[in-house]
Amino acid sequence: MAAGAPWLPFARAAAIGWMPVASAPMPVPPPEKRRGRTGLIVLNVSGTKFQTWPDTLERYPDTLLGSTERDFFFLEESNEFFFDRDPDIFRHILNFYRTGKLHFPRQECISAYDEELAFFGIIPEIIGDCCYEEYKDRHREDQERIQDDVEMEQSRELVSVDLSFRETMWRAFENPHTSTMALVLYYVTGFFIAVSVMANVAETVPCGAAPNRVRQVSCGERYALAFFCLDTACVMIFTVEYVLRLLVAPSRYKFVKSVMSIIDVVAIMPYYIGLVMTDNEDVSGAFVTLRVFRVFRIFKFSRHSAGLRILGYTLKSCASELGFLLFSLTMAIIIFATVMFYAEKGSSDSKFTSIPAAFWYTIVTMTTLGYGDMVPQTIMGKIFGSVCSLSGVLVIALPVPVIVSNFSKFYLQSQRSEKRRAQKVSKEAGQALVCKINHDYEVHQHHLLQCLEKTTNHQFVEEKMYHESCREVTLVKQVSRSSSILSSPHSLTSCCARRKKNFNVPNSNMSVALQSSFQELSTIQISERPRVVSRSSLNANFEETVPLNCDQAHITAAVISSPTPAGTKPAGTKPAGTKPAGTKPGGDGSTGSTNDSQGNIVGVSAL
Amino acid sequence: MGLDGMEVIAIVVVVGLFYVVLKQFGIWEPLSLEESNDGDLELSMVRHQPEGLDQLQVQTKFTRKELQSLYRGFKNECPSGLVDEETFKTIYSQFFPQGDATTYAHFLFNAFDMDRSGSIRFEDFVIGLSVLLRGSVTEKLRWAFNLYDINKDGYVTKEEMLAIMTSIYDMMGRYTLPSVRDDSPFDHVEKFFQKMDRNRDGVVTIDEFIETCQKDESIMASMQLFENVI
Repeated sequence: MAAGAPWLPFARAAAIGWMPVASAPMPVPPPEKRRGRTGLIVLNVSGTKFQTWPDTLERYPDTLLGSTERDFFFLEESNEFFFDRDPDIFRHILNFYRTGKLHFPRQECISAYDEELAFFGIIPEIIGDCCYEEYKDRHREDQERIQDDVEMEQSRELVSVDLSFRETMWRAFENPHTSTMALVLYYVTGFFIAVSVMANVAETVPCGAAPNRVRQVSCGERYALAFFCLDTACVMIFTVEYVLRLLVAPSRYKFVKSVMSIIDVVAIMPYYIGLVMTDNEDVSGAFVTLRVFRVFRIFKFSRHSAGLRILGYTLKSCASELGFLLFSLTMAIIIFATVMFYAEKGSSDSKFTSIPAAFWYTIVTMTTLGYGDMVPQTIMGKIFGSVCSLSGVLVIALPVPVIVSNFSKFYLQSQRSEKRRAQKVSKEAGQALVCKINHDYEVHQHHLLQCLEKTTNHQFVEEKMYHESCREVTLVKQVSRSSSILSSPHSLTSCCARRKKNFNVPNSNMSVALQSSFQELSTIQISERPRVVSRSSLNANFEETVPLNCDQAHITAAVISSPTPAGTKPAGTKPAGTKPAGTKPGGDGSTGSTNDSQGNIVGVSAL
Repeated sequence: MGLDGMEVIAIVVVVGLFYVVLKQFGIWEPLSLEESNDGDLELSMVRHQPEGLDQLQVQTKFTRKELQSLYRGFKNECPSGLVDEETFKTIYSQFFPQGDATTYAHFLFNAFDMDRSGSIRFEDFVIGLSVLLRGSVTEKLRWAFNLYDINKDGYVTKEEMLAIMTSIYDMMGRYTLPSVRDDSPFDHVEKFFQKMDRNRDGVVTIDEFIETCQKDESIMASMQLFENVI
C-alpha cells in the first residue's frame, strides 16, 4: 500500500461525489491520527548526516528505521539518531525508503552490503530487478569461495590429525602433495602410463624386413617377447595400483562406479583377456580389436593433469550446447545431402550415388575439410555446395563460445583455489602481525587461562610439539575424535603470538576432584588426550610408559601431574623440566625450546 | 524434380542472397532510413511547474504547510508535474481492486481538469481538493453537480446520470451482496430524479439540486465527512 498512500486523501475527498446519490447514510470515518509531521529526522551515520521526513521512514514499519527500534539509537544531546555504520551503503538503504526500490551498488563488497542490510532489518529479496541478477551472481561467487575455504580448512586440519593407514593411503593416492610417498607413487604411475602408451604406439611401427621375408614387419612382431614383457610389467603395476585404490577407498561402491576406475579396468582388461584366450584362432580377431582399448591408458593421465580434468568437466557441463551443435549439424547435413543428391543426379558418373553417400560430402564440406574425393560437377551442385560450406562455418561457430566460456570459468576456478592456497601462508603471517591486539586483552586472557589450568590441574602445551611426538610414537592410528578440540585453539594460536598454547583440556569425563591440592600425587582418569611425552623419555623406555594415546578415545592411563609452581608462571620464564627420579617422566615436549609451555607431568601407568 | 526445377530454385536462392546483401548495405531501401529517428523526442520534454506557493495559498484554503506536503506527495508520484488520464485511472483503480473504476475515474478526471487540457496539473489538483475538503457545503454540492454534468451545460439529464450511476456500480464489481442487477443503476437514477427533479422537466438544474440536497439531512451530514483528511 505504500505506493498508493499519497493519493488516499484524494480518493477519500473525491468520494464526496457519491454523497448526493447515496441510498443510505455513510458510515462513520475512522479517527484521524493527528501526527506531528513537524520536523525532519536527522540520521547521523558515522558523521555523515542524512535527513528525511518521519513519514518516509515509516513506510516500512518492520525495519529498524521504520519502527521504534530506532529509538535505541537516539542521542539526546544532539537530537539525532546515531548509527556507527558505513555511510556509503546507508545511502542506498535510505534511498530504499524514499523510492521503494533497493539497489545494489556494483562496487561494494557483497558481504559488507549483506551485513548492513541485516542490521537495518531489510531482506535482500526486495532488491529491484535492475540489480537483482548482479546481486545473486556475486552472492554465488562468494558462496563458492567460502566453500573452497572451508574445504581447504578441513583438508588442512586433517593433516595435523592422525589418520588411519587407510585414509592416509587414500589421500596419498588422491593428492600427490601430501607426502613423499604420494609423490613417488604419482611419478611412478605416470612413468609407467607413458611407457605403456609409447610401447603400444611403437609396436605398430614397421621395423624392417625379417631376415627371410620380403614384406615389412612391425616392431611388435619382431620383438614380440620384449613387448610382451613390457606390457606385462605395466599391467602388473596398474593392477596393483587399482587393487590398492579399491582397498583404501572410503566408499568402495562409489569408487567402483567412478569414471577413473572404469578407465583403469578397461585399460588392463585386454591383457587378461588375451592371457585367457591365447590359442583360439577364431577369437583372436576379436582379441586384436580388444587391444584397441589399451589406448584408454592414456586417459589415466587425467589424474595427473588438472587441465585434462577441467576439459572433462567442461564437456560434461556443456552437454546441452554440444547436443544442440550435434542436432543442428545433423539437420543441416540431411538437408544439404538431399539437395546435393538431387542436384547431381543428372550428371553422368557422379559420385553422389545415394543420399547417405552425399552425407560424406556434406560433412567434409561443412567442416571446411574439403578432401576433394567427391566434387559436384553440375552448376546447381556447385552453387548449393558453396551455400553448404558457408553455412557450415556458421553452424559450427555458434556453440563454440559457450563451451569456451565454460572452460574458462572452470579453469579460473581451479586457478583461484591454487592461488588461494599459496596466498594462505602470507595471509596468516599478516594476521599474526595484526592480531597483537592490546596488552590489556592479553593480560586478562592469560590470567583466565591460568585460572583454567588451576581448575583442571593440567597445563597447556604447545601444539606443534605435541603433534610431533604423537606422530613419532605410533603409526597405527585410529580415528580420533578430538579434532574439534584442536580446532578451537586455532584462534588462540593465531591471535596470541606470544603465548602459543594448546588446550589439552580433557573433556568432561574427569572423575577426580581437580581443585584439591595438587602437591600430592593423585590419580586422574583421563578420557581424551593425555600429556605429551618428552622425546628423551620416548626413546628410553617407551613400552613401560603410558602409551602415548594420541588417538585413543578412552585412555585408562593415569597421569599424575604435579605442576610445580614454576610451571604456572606466565610466559617468559623457562623452568627446567624437573624429572623426579624414580618415576617415569611424562613431561611435555619442552626440551630446550623457547616457548613457555611448562609443567611437569609425571606419568605413571596404573589401572 | 527435373533439372529445370532445381535451376529455378537455385536462381531464387541467389536472388535472395543478393537482396539480403543489398539491404544490409542500405542500397536497396534508401528511403525508409529517415523516418524512424524523430518519434522519441516528443514525450520527454513535457513537464510542468506549479504556480508559486503564495498564489496557491490565495487560491485555495490550505495552509502553507499543507500545500507543501501535498506537493511533495504529488511530485513524488508524478515527477513530471502532470497527471494524464491513464495514470489517473491507474491510481484511482488501486483503491477499488474488486471492480472497474476506470469509468468513474474518467468522470473524476474531467471534473478536476477544469481547463480541459487533458492532464491535471498541481493547481487543478489542489484547487479541487480545497473545495472538497475546505469548502462550504454549497461549494461541495456545486462540485458534485459539476461532476454529474458530463457535458458541462448546466443540466444533468437522465442519460448523464445513468452513465455516472453505472460507473459507480461498476466500481462495486461482481461479488456483492445482494448482487448488482443490470437495471440497478436505472432504478437508482429513477429514484434520484424523483427526488431532485422538481418541475419534472427531465433534467436537474443546479438550483434544484442544491435546494433538494440542503433539505436532505443525511446528505448534509455526509458532506462533512471528510473534512479532516489532510
